[in-house]
Amino acid sequence: MHIPDGFLSPPVWVTLDLVSAPAVAILARRAQQGTDTSRIPLLGVMGAFVFAAQMINFPVGPGTSGHLVGGALLSMVVGPTAAAIVMTAILAIQAFVFQDGGIMALGANVFNMALAGVLAGYLPYRLWSRQWRSAAIFAGGFLSVLTSACLALAQLLLSGVRMPPKIIWISTALFAIGALIEGAITLAAVRAIERLNPAWIIAPAGGRSRVVGLAAVGAVVAAVLFASTAPDAIERLTRTMGGETATESIWLYRVAAGLGGLVLIYVACTVIGRYLARQRSA
Amino acid sequence: MHHVVVERWSRGSSPLHTRDARSKLGALLVFLIAVSTTSPRAQFAIAGYAALLLAALFAARLPLVSVLTRAALVLPFSATFALITWWAGDPARAISLAEKSFLSGLAVLLTIATTPWNDLVHALGWMGVPRFLLLVIQFVYRYLFVISEQAQHMRLAAISREGTRRARNVRFRAATGAVGVLFARSWERAEGIHRAMLARGFTGHFLSLERPHFHAADIVFFFAAATAAVAVRMAL
Repeated sequence: MHIPDGFLSPPVWVTLDLVSAPAVAILARRAQQGTDTSRIPLLGVMGAFVFAAQMINFPVGPGTSGHLVGGALLSMVVGPTAAAIVMTAILAIQAFVFQDGGIMALGANVFNMALAGVLAGYLPYRLWSRQWRSAAIFAGGFLSVLTSACLALAQLLLSGVRMPPKIIWISTALFAIGALIEGAITLAAVRAIERLNPAWIIAPAGGRSRVVGLAAVGAVVAAVLFASTAPDAIERLTRTMGGETATESIWLYRVAAGLGGLVLIYVACTVIGRYLARQRSA
Repeated sequence: MHHVVVERWSRGSSPLHTRDARSKLGALLVFLIAVSTTSPRAQFAIAGYAALLLAALFAARLPLVSVLTRAALVLPFSATFALITWWAGDPARAISLAEKSFLSGLAVLLTIATTPWNDLVHALGWMGVPRFLLLVIQFVYRYLFVISEQAQHMRLAAISREGTRRARNVRFRAATGAVGVLFARSWERAEGIHRAMLARGFTGHFLSLERPHFHAADIVFFFAAATAAVAVRMAL
């Protein structure tokens, strides 16, 4: 679910651009440090692979078919940091070349799918794949899609797109079905890839306790539940954030907020970039 | 495939094509912010933005109908949300959702259709997008169509072999196998690409022979476009 431009209110997209841009800058730096030059074409081709794999239809129900979304699978192939960068690249190309998702909303889409989606897809694999491998891979695909979709829904609601509670429930149910399909396809794809060459799927790094894993997944689920079961809370939050009511008349404020937000994003990126560059050369 | 169309459009020679990518990207951002901050009830401003884009479309000498059709790809998505919003009792916002997403998509398409891909990537790098991310973007874009074509061939081959009327679990397994094979072929391709790049002296970044220059006309274009968008935003 790629949010186009025009859906998110300025406070929402400015905030998410402000979160995503420095996060991607840091991840890009980290991914670059951990890769030799042979990985660069690999990451690019893997991005193209995810794009192309989305064309392969999986029959799932009577008359319906699903396709791979790929965030979780990618994180199990190239690692979560590189996967986030590859997903960001895919989202940027979809926004610019295919008008699939907006440019101002790119920060939101990157946050939902490349950052939160990849993290939610990789965590279960990292934490549980020693004990319950198949379940962990399935959970990765499931959580990755569910987290992305619920975050997108929450952002739309925060932006003041009004939806009757019934619609919110229906779409949450649809998201859950889509997430189950992604879990099944991810598991099937990982098995198919492993059958060809087991080394293509990376081993999860380090072991942490199951408690931490449960807590992490619990946090994700709590966020999802917040988005889906508390439309009233979101509406209240919208009002306090000035979604549409208080600031509507003061258009100058909103223009200034938009322009100021863009300047802030730019300054934040430059400062962080400089800082990281200095740290690297020191 | 339709990507070829946009690439062909982007190699034109209209006044808009010859502007520096950075000035076009800057103007695009200002335009998108103006649209994004417009009130749902400001229908005159929406018409103003549409007029600006149409003027740019004529200046770029692009085929009007095909560009508008492509930009309309966003409409099924936004129309769904527009209907829901209308149903929730907010028709003004419902209409503005569809209008804003269409105009924003059209503006992005216009920028892409008048800017060669490499210039666009160069402009993004100039704006401070991390170089590593841009490298990955370049590679994804380069191989996107190659591997998609391969996926299409495999799909066609699968349908030719067994048709579409097989049992669901058989087709599911076939699709799984297709993903695995596509993955293996992509991996091999990446290794081949890397060897070829090393043979050509790749050191970790792309080199470009052209150095884009900012001309006075680019600065004038940026300020004219930005002023027009802000003027529509404030006056209407």
